[in-house]
Amino acid sequence: MRKFNSITSEKKKLPESKRQFCSFQMAGHYFGVDILDVKEIIDEVVLTKIHHAPPEMLGFVNIRGHVHLVLDLRLLLNFSTKSIDEASRVLLFHPNVGESFGVMVDQIGHMIEVEESLIEYRVSEENISGIARDFRKSDLEKGVCKLKDRLLIILDASKFLNAVELKR
Amino acid sequence: MKQTGIATKIIFLSCGIALLLMVLGCILVMQYEIVVLNKMTDKKVEEKEKLYLYSLYQEKKALTEELITQINDLIKMIKSVDVVYSQTFEFQIQSLLMHPMVVAAEFCKQNEQSFLAAWKSKTIHVANAFPKELKLKQYLMIIKHTKIPSIEIIRLYYTFEKIEHELKAQKERDINDIHETRTSIYNQLNGLFLAQSIGSFLVVAFLGATLIFSLRWLILKPIQYLMQIAKQLKKLDLSVDITTTTASHELNALAQALGQLLEGFRKIISDVKENATMLSGSADNMTDIAEQLKNHSEEAESKSNNVAEASVQISANIHSIANSVEQISDNMEAVSSTSDYLFNNINSVANAIEELSSSLSHVGERAQNGTKIAEEAVLLAKKAGKTVNTLRHAADEIGGVSEFIQRIAHKTNILSLNATIEAASAGSAGRGFSVVASAIQEFAEQSSRAAKDITDRIASVQKGTFEIENVFKEVSAIIREMNESSESISFAVIEQTKAVQEIASNALEADERARNINVSIEDLSRTVNDAADNTAQVAMGANDVSTRIQGVSESISFNRQISHQINEAAIVLNHLSGNLKFMVDPFKVSHQSKINNNNKE
Repeated sequence: MRKFNSITSEKKKLPESKRQFCSFQMAGHYFGVDILDVKEIIDEVVLTKIHHAPPEMLGFVNIRGHVHLVLDLRLLLNFSTKSIDEASRVLLFHPNVGESFGVMVDQIGHMIEVEESLIEYRVSEENISGIARDFRKSDLEKGVCKLKDRLLIILDASKFLNAVELKR
Repeated sequence: MKQTGIATKIIFLSCGIALLLMVLGCILVMQYEIVVLNKMTDKKVEEKEKLYLYSLYQEKKALTEELITQINDLIKMIKSVDVVYSQTFEFQIQSLLMHPMVVAAEFCKQNEQSFLAAWKSKTIHVANAFPKELKLKQYLMIIKHTKIPSIEIIRLYYTFEKIEHELKAQKERDINDIHETRTSIYNQLNGLFLAQSIGSFLVVAFLGATLIFSLRWLILKPIQYLMQIAKQLKKLDLSVDITTTTASHELNALAQALGQLLEGFRKIISDVKENATMLSGSADNMTDIAEQLKNHSEEAESKSNNVAEASVQISANIHSIANSVEQISDNMEAVSSTSDYLFNNINSVANAIEELSSSLSHVGERAQNGTKIAEEAVLLAKKAGKTVNTLRHAADEIGGVSEFIQRIAHKTNILSLNATIEAASAGSAGRGFSVVASAIQEFAEQSSRAAKDITDRIASVQKGTFEIENVFKEVSAIIREMNESSESISFAVIEQTKAVQEIASNALEADERARNINVSIEDLSRTVNDAADNTAQVAMGANDVSTRIQGVSESISFNRQISHQINEAAIVLNHLSGNLKFMVDPFKVSHQSKINNNNKE
């Protein structure tokens, strides 16, 4: 909710109403996260496994002396898991999104700049019953961005950690 | 052993018969003894019976007398007593009954009526009269008339049964004894019989053994000796010695007679044998001589035949030779003209061969040149192979470099992305930087694409070099083959040159020889003409020789027939002498001298 508010505030701030997304591919689908949530992209990953952790947690990674938790986004999006290869990258998020963590993606794409008008957000309906609201909490997508030739699904990075907890 | 076998049989048979007879005699004696024994016992039993009857009679007599005396005593006693009481009578009668043999007693008065009676039944009963159930008639009775008024008659009944019984028992016991004695004697007799038979068997066995021994010693030995001699005689062996010297024994005399007979026989046979051997030898000799004669005459005949044939042939041949010689002289002229032609031809051949030799040496030079060129080509091919190899290495290195470039491009891409992120976080201040970052990103992508392109190209270059290498290998192999074949060509050309040179020299020689031949053929032609004349004369002489030799051959043939007849006669003679020898041969007469000596002794 807080994030949503911050986005709306940003919307007001930017008169050009342009937004940037960091795009990536996952099992042939195109996804994107807000570039402001992203701190860094890492290509050479040395993972340290966490035992007794849920399978969505791939392990810890040491980036310049700071330890980050790495989640498997494929499992969070209910795809089957896949071993790490040359194209695999880790997206690290800003500390303001959650405690320092990142997600493993299959392949990184370009930085995309789009008009606000091309984005359709999901409307959060307040009058949904309690159970339905709980279900919605685990929903990771925030909206869809209409590009020239395809659609880009915009994910909410702040819900990744919650999703891990909810899955359990 | 056969002779001993017969003797043993005879002895055993006679011994068996003797044993049988002895046993039979034993049995007869036994039977006789048994009969005698039975008679004796019967006699004894009869005696016993008589004795029994006699003693019974004696006893009866004695008892009656005794009883009579007793009654008399009683009467005396009663007479002597004055008063007689009835008790006295009772006492008396009881005393009478005390005798064991008395059964009952009765006192009667004058009217023969008993007034007192006593009888025995377990105890002594006394009454006036006998009870009616008592049967007294079966007992003996004594009636005594007393002259006493009170007691007129005394009747005494007595029995003799007990004594009779005792005597009978005595008799039977005796008879039993006699019978027992007889049975015991029987047993003893059986034992005796056994002992007798064993004894007789032993005697017979001893007799048999003695007989066998003596028979063997006295008769069988000389018979065996004679048998051996007979066996040898059976084999027609007359070389037997008969060594018995004394004529005391019948068999010995027989042997001596046999020996004398043998000696005479031996002499005759040996004479016949010697003569047969001599005859056979001379017949053999004759056969050989006849055979030789026959062979010689046959040989002579065949030889003379051969000679006759040969002489005929010779005369025919000589005729044909004469003809041939004439023909040869004709042909010789034709040869002479042909050899002229040949001489010309050989000359031209020699010239042609020389030309061939020179051209071949030219070819040899060319072939050697080709070899050198091929060697150079091999060297060049090797060099090219090396160059291609270095090219391949270079391509490999380029591949490594392009890979490195691709990695750099990836890194640059990441860097540009991060830069874009940083620029975005900087907000509007980072806008310019964002543009730069995107440009870098594009550049990175381009460089990545270029690196990929290079990698692909290099791969195709590597493939090409690999193919070139293979082709070069093949090419160098082909060149090597070429080299080898050109070498072998040059070698062959050298050989050929040598051969051609030889041929050339030979051709020259042939040329000369042909000239010589030409000359000598002319000489030959002349000589042949002379020869033809001479051969005609020889042919006539040969005919004459042939007819004479045929006459000789006929006479030799007649000779041969005669010698053949002689040979046949000799063979018949030989056969006859062989038969005679065969008939006489089986008789052996080798120990003649020894036997003669014996006879002298």
